[in-house]
Amino acid sequence: MTKQRDRIEFLQGTLDILILRSLQRGPAHGHALAKHIKQTSEEVFHVETGSLYPALHRLEAKGWIAATWDQSDKGKRARFYRLTPSGRKQLAVEQSKWESFSRAMSLILKTTDQEG
Amino acid sequence: MNAFFRKLGWLFKRRLKEAELQEEIQFHLDEEAEEREASGVPPAEAHFAARRELGNIARMQEDTRDAWGWTLLEQLLQDLRYAGRTMGSNKTFTVLAIVSLALGIGANTAIFSFMDSILLRSLPVSDPKSLVLLEWHTEKRTLHGTNRHDDSYTDPNGGFVGGFFSYPAFEQLRNGGAVFASVFGYQGAGRLHVLAAGQAGFANGEFVSGEYFTGLGIAPFAGRLLAPDDDQAGSEAVAVVSYELSERRFGGPESAVGQSVRINNVPFTIVGVSPPEFFGADPNAVPDVYVPMHTNLILERTDTRFPIASRYQNPAYDWVVIMARLKPGVTAPVAQAILASEFLNWERSVDTNRPAEDLPKLIVREGAGGLGGLRRTYSKPLYILQALVGLILTIACANIANLLLARAAARKREMAVRLSIGAGRFRVIRQLLTECVVLAFLGGLFGVGLATWGIRFLTTLMANGRENFTFRAELNWHVLIVVAFLSLLTGVLFGLTPALQSTRGDLFHALKEVRTGSGRGSLRRLSLSRILMGSQIAITLLMLVAAGLFIRTLSNLQSIQVGFNPERLLTFRLNAPQAGLKDPEVVGLYNDLQTRFAALPGVRAVSMSDAPLIGRGTSMWPVRLAGGPMESVLVLTIGAGFFANMQIPILLGRDINEHDRAGAPLVAVVNEAFVKANLLGKSPLGERFVVPLTCATCEIEIVGISANASYGSLKEPGAPIIYLPFAQPAIRAVEEIVYEIRTAGNPLGVINAVRDIVNRTDSRLALSEVATQSDLIDRQISQQITFSRLCTAFALLALTIACVGLYATMSYNVIRRTREIGIRMALGAQRTQVVRMVLREVAVLVAAAMCIGVPAALFATKVIESFLFGLKHDDPLTLSIAVLTLVGAAVLASYLPARGASRIDPMRALRHE
Repeated sequence: MTKQRDRIEFLQGTLDILILRSLQRGPAHGHALAKHIKQTSEEVFHVETGSLYPALHRLEAKGWIAATWDQSDKGKRARFYRLTPSGRKQLAVEQSKWESFSRAMSLILKTTDQEG
Repeated sequence: MNAFFRKLGWLFKRRLKEAELQEEIQFHLDEEAEEREASGVPPAEAHFAARRELGNIARMQEDTRDAWGWTLLEQLLQDLRYAGRTMGSNKTFTVLAIVSLALGIGANTAIFSFMDSILLRSLPVSDPKSLVLLEWHTEKRTLHGTNRHDDSYTDPNGGFVGGFFSYPAFEQLRNGGAVFASVFGYQGAGRLHVLAAGQAGFANGEFVSGEYFTGLGIAPFAGRLLAPDDDQAGSEAVAVVSYELSERRFGGPESAVGQSVRINNVPFTIVGVSPPEFFGADPNAVPDVYVPMHTNLILERTDTRFPIASRYQNPAYDWVVIMARLKPGVTAPVAQAILASEFLNWERSVDTNRPAEDLPKLIVREGAGGLGGLRRTYSKPLYILQALVGLILTIACANIANLLLARAAARKREMAVRLSIGAGRFRVIRQLLTECVVLAFLGGLFGVGLATWGIRFLTTLMANGRENFTFRAELNWHVLIVVAFLSLLTGVLFGLTPALQSTRGDLFHALKEVRTGSGRGSLRRLSLSRILMGSQIAITLLMLVAAGLFIRTLSNLQSIQVGFNPERLLTFRLNAPQAGLKDPEVVGLYNDLQTRFAALPGVRAVSMSDAPLIGRGTSMWPVRLAGGPMESVLVLTIGAGFFANMQIPILLGRDINEHDRAGAPLVAVVNEAFVKANLLGKSPLGERFVVPLTCATCEIEIVGISANASYGSLKEPGAPIIYLPFAQPAIRAVEEIVYEIRTAGNPLGVINAVRDIVNRTDSRLALSEVATQSDLIDRQISQQITFSRLCTAFALLALTIACVGLYATMSYNVIRRTREIGIRMALGAQRTQVVRMVLREVAVLVAAAMCIGVPAALFATKVIESFLFGLKHDDPLTLSIAVLTLVGAAVLASYLPARGASRIDPMRALRHE
């Protein structure tokens, strides 16, 4: 139980950012998002499509994204997600967090290299 | 906060959200499949691939629902719904489980509310924790004095504890200002004769010191309560009545205040009413009337040789129960440490006769619960009863656990299916437990209903006809919380093992397992179920033995030969002096009434004595036979025709008759035991003795010898007794009298006629303690009666539950073994052989249970040894009857399933698969 939760928690953080980032381009439905994320990140992360929908609904509950029913480009009814203002803010926060984190990481790794 | 409200909104649109999610997933699958088709995959394969790519959809839906929030609540509702459905589809099981739980929990609740009221509850006063009780401890029993709150007892750790003090000691302790905020004392005043608005009646009285109400922190319900000024010799006589008495006698609390009453024929004014929840400081005796302590000077009548006033000066006569309220920050042990030596110094200064080591040592005890008499009397019986009902609940739990185990085996496949399609084990266990807890709570709910009835039943049982039994147990939140907790606990207790069992192990095997179920798991389940059954039977045996012991004790007590005929004998008390009649007319009145009662239709004979033979205390006086030493002997004063009416044979000489009155020669009848003890070898008739305490020169002649008869308590007769005529008051002043009316039919049938005669003779007179002599005898053994009735009921309950469990388990086993039995019969086994086979299984089980149960019973019943009479706790007869009863019941319970097994049709059984 706990093991599973740890894994999800780790994925949650990254997956959340991936979703928010993808939605920055404009509203999209689940399938399109899945495709986009897969295309942009498949080499780095293995994102299970199954965990996408729970994540979308979780972000919706937090108020970072909002959902509306609309026509897909093929004319079918689909659930479209878009960023809300607070989602945009959240993305900025997460982005800067990640940037400082990776900056720190690379700094550390460089130092170790020199010593080694 | 926003997130919370969003989730709250979703909670109410659950169905819409579900549909949306469904549609969203469907859209995803369609898109995916279309794309794959577009890249050239065949349609069927494309759909399948889309599905596979998405993974476990049910799991995903669950995770999404998680994101919506309220999962726990929702799952709980689901579980509850599911539990309702399962329970509905197994009605027999559900009803059996709920009934046995309700009985178990109900019995526990009832007994626990008594424990709560008697052992745990504090006095209903402000800040009861700061109250303390003062007592003293000596090595030898050296009690001089009396108080109706009999709060003295033998210390279980050795020595003797006294519960009341002399008045000078009270005054001394009242100065303990360093540790006490206030000190107050009281003394039981007994039954006071209260004449209000021309109506005579009796009320329980309490003499209280002036600080009593302020010390306890009681506010008046109406008027005012007693104050120190009221408690002075010569103050105006005022009284406070209880709320209950004000309703009963004075038309409500408001109108009671200011009324004039005559108490023991002394005028009093009611100044106030105590609040309804207040019952005094002794849970065992609830006062109706509170009067200042110093009014005992005018209310109590005693011998002129021992004036009440002397009690206020005498440091050697103990009669005041003392309680105190500690100053903030002081604890009882601290107060004791500070006061004990001070008190010892004071005692040394007033009692120079006693050696210092014999002087009582002061004890300061926590007093939040008031006096401890009731607790001391009932704590052991209550603990025993609580243990018994605890065992019943255990049996009930074991029973349900057993039935659930059987069901768990049947549902193993279902569970395996659930687990394999992605249900978490924890989730499944939680759902199974929800079912059990629902069952337990339903049981608890009905149990509380049963308990309210049980409490009433128990109260009647404990009161056993005593009219002044004022103790009340009740269901309060305290008890209800315990019940709720108990229900939860039982639910988890009987549900957990089966739940763990059915969700454990290898899914693959469980799924493949044949329905008739004889896989690896079932062996362990069987042995567990055997253990449960066996312990039920062992516990039941224990309870049967206890019940048997109490029943035999009761029958031993009831078959005691008392030496007189207690059948169809009505007794009641009358107290003419208390009602205001003067001494010379009292004897005449009593005799006159005797004649009038005797003339009533249906009355065979009437006699009088100062106490009923059994049912009240005794008097013991020192007497001196001519030339002999001083002896303490039981003395009963009686009227004419006493022996004839009680059917006690006169062996020698004559009965007391109407000529033995004031002025005539002083006479006495003694019993055989007296002759044997004091006059062996002499001719007893004509021997004389004196009672030095009242009249050292009055020689009393023995004119008759009676056979032995019990007097005082229910014991084999054999104590020496002197019977004196009550109409010769030179030896003993005439006070109250007890009439014994022997009737032809039901003795209670003449009560109204008797009351009528008393009322017409003098309206100030009132009958009290009306009871038949047999009832009075029953009250002597009320504890044994209560115990034997309760234990029998509990044992039958346990037996029933165990038998139902046995029946259900055996039936289930037979169904499980249908195929096997079918094969056996197809191979030529006879019906009787099949019956025997099933019964043998039960016999082994019962025998194994006995091996544990018999030694356990022998050991455990030691606890109740002190409650037994005329037999030992290891009474072989009781034990064998209990074993036989249990074996019989077990055979009976398993015979039906066994017969069912023998009726199995081999052809059908083999096709059963």
